[in-house]
Amino acid sequence: VSDLAAHVTSVLERSVLPSVIARGGAIRVADADADGVVTLEVTGSPGAALPLAARIEAAVRAAVPQVTAVRLVIPGTSPPGSPAGAADLAEAAGRVLDAEVNPAIAAHRGHVTVTGAEHGWIRIRLDGGCQGCALAEVTIRQGIEPLLRDHLPAMTGLADVTDHAAGTDPFFSPEKR
Amino acid sequence: MTPAVPAGPRVLLLVPARTYRAADFLLAAARMGLDLVIGSDGALPIGGRPVIPVNPADPDRSARLITARCGPVAAVVAADTPMLELAAEVAARLGLPHNPAEAVWNAADKTRQRQRWAAAGIPQPRFEIVPAATGDAVRRAARAVGFPCVVKAVSLSASQGVLRAGNAAAAVTAARRIRHILAAARRPDGEPLLIEEYLPGPELSIDGLLDGGSLTVTAIFDKPAAPDGPTFEETLLLTPPMLAAPVLNAAITTAGQAARALGLTGGPVHAELRIDDRGGQVRPAMLELAARSIGGLCSRVLRFPGGKTLEELILAGALGQPVPGISRHPPRAAGVFMLPVPRPGVLRAVEGRDQAAAVPGITGLTITIPAGQRVRPLPDGDQYLGFIFAEADTRHEVEHALTTARDQLHVIIQ
Repeated sequence: VSDLAAHVTSVLERSVLPSVIARGGAIRVADADADGVVTLEVTGSPGAALPLAARIEAAVRAAVPQVTAVRLVIPGTSPPGSPAGAADLAEAAGRVLDAEVNPAIAAHRGHVTVTGAEHGWIRIRLDGGCQGCALAEVTIRQGIEPLLRDHLPAMTGLADVTDHAAGTDPFFSPEKR
Repeated sequence: MTPAVPAGPRVLLLVPARTYRAADFLLAAARMGLDLVIGSDGALPIGGRPVIPVNPADPDRSARLITARCGPVAAVVAADTPMLELAAEVAARLGLPHNPAEAVWNAADKTRQRQRWAAAGIPQPRFEIVPAATGDAVRRAARAVGFPCVVKAVSLSASQGVLRAGNAAAAVTAARRIRHILAAARRPDGEPLLIEEYLPGPELSIDGLLDGGSLTVTAIFDKPAAPDGPTFEETLLLTPPMLAAPVLNAAITTAGQAARALGLTGGPVHAELRIDDRGGQVRPAMLELAARSIGGLCSRVLRFPGGKTLEELILAGALGQPVPGISRHPPRAAGVFMLPVPRPGVLRAVEGRDQAAAVPGITGLTITIPAGQRVRPLPDGDQYLGFIFAEADTRHEVEHALTTARDQLHVIIQ
């Protein structure tokens, strides 16, 4: 298990860690269990690492085949800490999104789904026209996040776990200028 | 209810629909605690902090809409090229410090750049402007600048519509092809072409922030794989540059003079230069300059004191906060490989990403064109397949990592 943790640490250092540090965060291996589940602790700015969650997991699992799952945790973010509270938060977030966001973003062939909640962090996945869209971050940070904060005071933050690079039908493709 | 509005200064960020730059500016604003108001031509009317719908092709109407809706802001920032003119217009109406609209206009058109720089004595290639690109006019212009020459569209970017020609007949053929590209890009029929001397020599880009016309350099990349034609795709960008300090200093001075000659006084600039090394001289010469930061996702390779990103420096500069320049001796070398489109067709897959990402020194790999999309290489297209990022102790290690990672990728286009 300690070898697994060391191997994952090495992968993080040479792949995603510089990107996370550059955005004001840090990430380290907190635990690696015998089932191959690796827990990564995110410190500093959560926004520096959580949007990269899918990329981090893909990089770690590609480089270390023994890893079966990667979990990101943020120390000191407890409410709502119970699994029941997390489930309630996820469900409530899903209701807000279905009522106020999905009908609008359907105009761009988009859809947003809550994939879970943990320690007050709500995870969402964007699909359809939103996956890989140049303006997805605008939709999230100006639209979805403040809407959810208004409705869900228990929310700590919002993490986009979409694999945007895998989007095959983005409404707006980026162009280099 | 939890207040959703941050407590920092309020900034208007204008985000075009098709940009790589939105996420990095939003992340920077969040880290700085800024209260963002966004104007865009692509966002949907959803709740939260609604985006102001704008049309950059109609700056007057868009500026009126923005000034009516956005309330007081401390700065106006364009996230990418299509919003530059509108940002200048809005800032002028709100009485905020910004580049004059005419300066932004000068920087957006390659003919005006050349004319302004010629008037100011800025070193640059010999050039001719061909208002109506008839065969005779192109031949005459090409002979006037000498061969090989470069035929350029004046309103496109990212090396789209740029071709080298070795003789008059090739220049005419290149001009005809560029006319087709301009038509496909829906540019006006009468748009002139630029025909200019081809400058051999090392190429570099200088990024910086202007404050009162004074340039603080934020990044210098050199381009060890700079192409010599017939197309001019950018691929490898490395920092710190290898050029000798006196050459580098001369290049920085030239870039600053070039920006001021266009009338630019503030905000980010991205300058591209070649070091003309013919005849034993070493003279920096301006290729182009844009009133924005480096394009694509390239800024992600840059770091500044305190872990700040380039976008944080741009936002800070717009707010009148001091901006640190780069160290000439950064702790680590870094680089970007921009993946060109190798041939036309439909992109089916980019295989080998995991292997490429696992190459030591690679810090990121992003493929930005979705599978299933039709792609066209330069000079017809204007997109790159994606970006590979690397960091290491030396430039050599960065270059090795980037080229090794690129070699792991297998691009399937049908």
